[in-house]
Amino acid sequence: MTAIPAPTPGSSSGTAVQPNRPAPAAIRFLKSPKLARTLFLPAVLVFWLISNRLIENAWDFDSTVLATPMEVWDFMIAELAGDTVAPKNLYETFGISLRRLGIGFAISMILGTAIGLGMGLSKAINAFFHDWVMGLLAMPALAWALFLSLIFGFDDTGPILAVTLAGIPFVIVNVREGVRDTPTELFDMSTAFDVPLVKRIRHVLLPSLYPFLFASARYALSIGWKGLVIIELFGGQDGAGWTVKFWYDAHRLHGVIGYSMFFVIFALILENAVLEPISRRVFRWRPSHDAPEIIEEEMSALDHAGHYQQPDDKVLVRN
Amino acid sequence: MAEIKIKDLHKEFGVGADKVVALENVNLELGGHVFISIVGPSGCGKSTLLNILSGIETPTSGSVTITEHGDRAAPGYVFQAARLLPWRTVMDNLLFVQKDKSEETRARCQHYLEMVQLGDKGHKFPGELSGGMQQRVGIARAFSIEPDVLFMDEPFSHLDAITARSLRRELHEMWAETRKTIVFVTHDVGEAVELSNRILVFAQGGRLEDDIPIELEFPRDSADEQVAIAKAAVLRKFEEFDLVAT
Repeated sequence: MTAIPAPTPGSSSGTAVQPNRPAPAAIRFLKSPKLARTLFLPAVLVFWLISNRLIENAWDFDSTVLATPMEVWDFMIAELAGDTVAPKNLYETFGISLRRLGIGFAISMILGTAIGLGMGLSKAINAFFHDWVMGLLAMPALAWALFLSLIFGFDDTGPILAVTLAGIPFVIVNVREGVRDTPTELFDMSTAFDVPLVKRIRHVLLPSLYPFLFASARYALSIGWKGLVIIELFGGQDGAGWTVKFWYDAHRLHGVIGYSMFFVIFALILENAVLEPISRRVFRWRPSHDAPEIIEEEMSALDHAGHYQQPDDKVLVRN
Repeated sequence: MAEIKIKDLHKEFGVGADKVVALENVNLELGGHVFISIVGPSGCGKSTLLNILSGIETPTSGSVTITEHGDRAAPGYVFQAARLLPWRTVMDNLLFVQKDKSEETRARCQHYLEMVQLGDKGHKFPGELSGGMQQRVGIARAFSIEPDVLFMDEPFSHLDAITARSLRRELHEMWAETRKTIVFVTHDVGEAVELSNRILVFAQGGRLEDDIPIELEFPRDSADEQVAIAKAAVLRKFEEFDLVAT
């Protein structure tokens, strides 16, 4: 047998590993995501101003059409204060659109979840709906807007249906995939322990679907909102989409951009104030990447086994 | 104490040329305060037998009855991977398999968590625990319903040797205290000898080849000479039946 010689003191038996030294605080600050996030808006504004100047110089153009960041800002402040020449103020306008969005979203989630569950659990139901769902996915929102406007005119039905039809295929597909992805080993565990069906649905199936339901909700809201704005724009008499067209018809680009910014702000508020807190609460069981690994309890298990002791210097020695 | 009667149990998977016989006409009677290990090469039907006994799978033919004083007995199951509900706390995982959530039930669950040294972890989620701790929760869950018979499918195979050794000792102490019938599947003959007073040897194709009593005193240590002799005797059975030893 070949003995492995112990290294002689002072000799190098390989490449020494240098500990990583943290970068200077200034470098860390410059590389930090917080700084990047903070710099984005100023970068956009600078880009905007430069673009305006380039366009004015490059084309023979009425420069009063282009809106500056300050004009858009002033417009948005005025709208927030209720000072507007549009038929309805910002709050009334968004209230109308959000009501339509809420109703359409609720219908797409309820109906979509039911169909998705059916398609995931039954091959026959899946075969029945499959092609129609794929067709709905491919249908552009503009087509729904024109189609529903012609049929239902200017009342709420068309916009609500536009939200529903735009969002429902995403809900169906996500829920179906969620059912197919349910952890069968947990159902086997439930069978082994004779757990009643209602309990299995409540504690195994539904929680396993939550990630897919959340994804569905985000898609349905995002796609539904776009569909809503388009139908209001083409076939409405009120709402956020119609109001954007109002400012477009008035050749007021700051109004078009300003209202679009309100859409963005609304989406950010919805995400950060509603969806994200709910998601954090529902998925609080997910281990955090930053959580320290629980290893101390394993050490105490060794103590309990009575074969290893853990001296103060934390080196394990046999008893 | 539970009685398990297995009569002409046969299980096949697939059809025609793809048919695989997982269990071949197994006849067995198990019961009492026994710790039975089932050993054999990979694919010999050990886990399939346990799945049929626990109701997860149904046999192709034959019958299985598990009774306690004539009534249908309630089994507990410890899986190879703990199979905990990741979105429920440790205590909620134990409560999930209970018939009710009364204070008495909660106290019983807490008792079994303390038996596996996790009494203060009831509020944690499985994702916050190590693999060994999760498996301890699985063991506590199985014991907490105070089953008449406990099925364990290679429960320590995914763990490191140190943790597995610790858990084997804890399991033995719990068995000695609760006096259950335990049916334990393992591919580790040494583990089977350390824990069991009866070892069933299965061959490829799901044939029960031998039923070996192990009459050594507890507690047993794999370093003991008597345990080593018993292990060698079981391994000779593997050679005798031309099984692949592990």
